[in-house]
Amino acid sequence: MGDLLYLYGLIPTNEATHPLPSVKGFDGEHEIFMLPNEDVTAIVCHLDHAAYSEETISDKINNDMEWLQEKAFHHHETVQQLTKQFTIVPLKFCTLYKNEESLRETVEKNKAKLSETFALLDGNEEWNLKIYCDDEQIKQQVSESNPVIKAKRDEISALPRGRQFFEKKKMDELINQELEDEKNRFCENIHEKLKNVSLYGSIKKTWGKDVTGRKEKMAWNSVFLLPSPNVEQFLGNVEQYEGEFEETGWKFEVSGPWPPYHFSSFS
Amino acid sequence: MTVRETIENKDIALIDILDVILDKGVAIKGDLIISIAGVDLVYLDLRVLISSVETLVQHKQGTRKIINSEQFDRDREALDHAAAEPDEWSHQR
Repeated sequence: MGDLLYLYGLIPTNEATHPLPSVKGFDGEHEIFMLPNEDVTAIVCHLDHAAYSEETISDKINNDMEWLQEKAFHHHETVQQLTKQFTIVPLKFCTLYKNEESLRETVEKNKAKLSETFALLDGNEEWNLKIYCDDEQIKQQVSESNPVIKAKRDEISALPRGRQFFEKKKMDELINQELEDEKNRFCENIHEKLKNVSLYGSIKKTWGKDVTGRKEKMAWNSVFLLPSPNVEQFLGNVEQYEGEFEETGWKFEVSGPWPPYHFSSFS
Repeated sequence: MTVRETIENKDIALIDILDVILDKGVAIKGDLIISIAGVDLVYLDLRVLISSVETLVQHKQGTRKIINSEQFDRDREALDHAAAEPDEWSHQR
C-alpha cells in the first residue's frame, strides 16, 4: 500500500526550473517534492495512509484545535512561499490523493482549464479587503441626516403619547433598514472604485461577530485580482479611504498578497 | 517600508487563513465554526495574543479542553519561530 499524496498546488512545468528547498511537509517528516507532468507540475508530499485516513483527518479538523492551528499555518506558509516563486493554483487544505496515478489522471484531465487559469494568474496578485463599521455611530448619522426619517420624527412628535410608542418602534425598524441600505451603498461604491484598478473584484460572505470576536461589524468582505504593478495604487486608494472615512465610523483592512485561492478556483 | 511591505509583513490571523484554505470557509455555520467561534482563539494573531481565555469548549462532544495562557505563549513562540523561517526559501522571483 503506497503513501498518500498531499497536494499543495499546481504550477506550469515550464516554471519548474529550479529544485525546491528541503522542507518538511504536512506530517513534519516527509519532504515536499515535485511531481512533473508534461505541462503541469504538482507540488506534493507523502503521507502515511494509515495515519491520515479521511475519518482521522475529519475528526482532527473538528476536534483538535491545536492540530488544526499548526497544520493550517503549515499549509498557508508553504503555499505562500510557493506563490512567491511560481504561478500557482493553490489547493485547499487537506487535498489528498491515494497515489501518483490518480493525481496524474486528475491533472491530465484538467490540463486545458489549468492552462487557462495559469494565464489568468500570471503576473497578477490576489488581495483581500474587509470593511468594518461602527453600527451605532452610523446609525446615529443616518437617524439625524436622513430626510425620510426626519420627516417621520416630526410626524410622530405631533401624535398622542400612546400612538407615539408604536410609531417610534416602526421608525426604529425604518432606521435599521436605512442603516443597512446606507452601509451597502457605501461599500458597493468603494468596491466599484477598486475594481477600476483591478482585473476582477468579487464579493465574499461577511463574518458575524461570533466569528470575528470584534465589536465592530464586518460590513463588507471582498477579494481582488490585480496586476502586481497596480498594487501600489490599489493600496494607496484604500489608504485614502481610511483617512477620509475613519471619523464617520469606517475601518478598512487589507491583507495580501494571498495565494490565488479565490480566482483560481474550479473543482 | 512601503505600504505594501507593511501589509505584507503583518501577521495573519488564524481565522483569515482558515477562511481561505478550508473548503467551505468560515462564514458558513457548521460544526467547525461553532467549535472555534466565541473563543478568543478565533483571533489568534501572532502579535495580538488574547491570553485571557482559559477554556476552549469542544462543541461536538461537549468535552472541555483546557488551554491556558502558558500554552498559548509556547505555541506563539513556536509559530513565531516557524514564521521567521527563511533561509530555505531564499530563492525568490
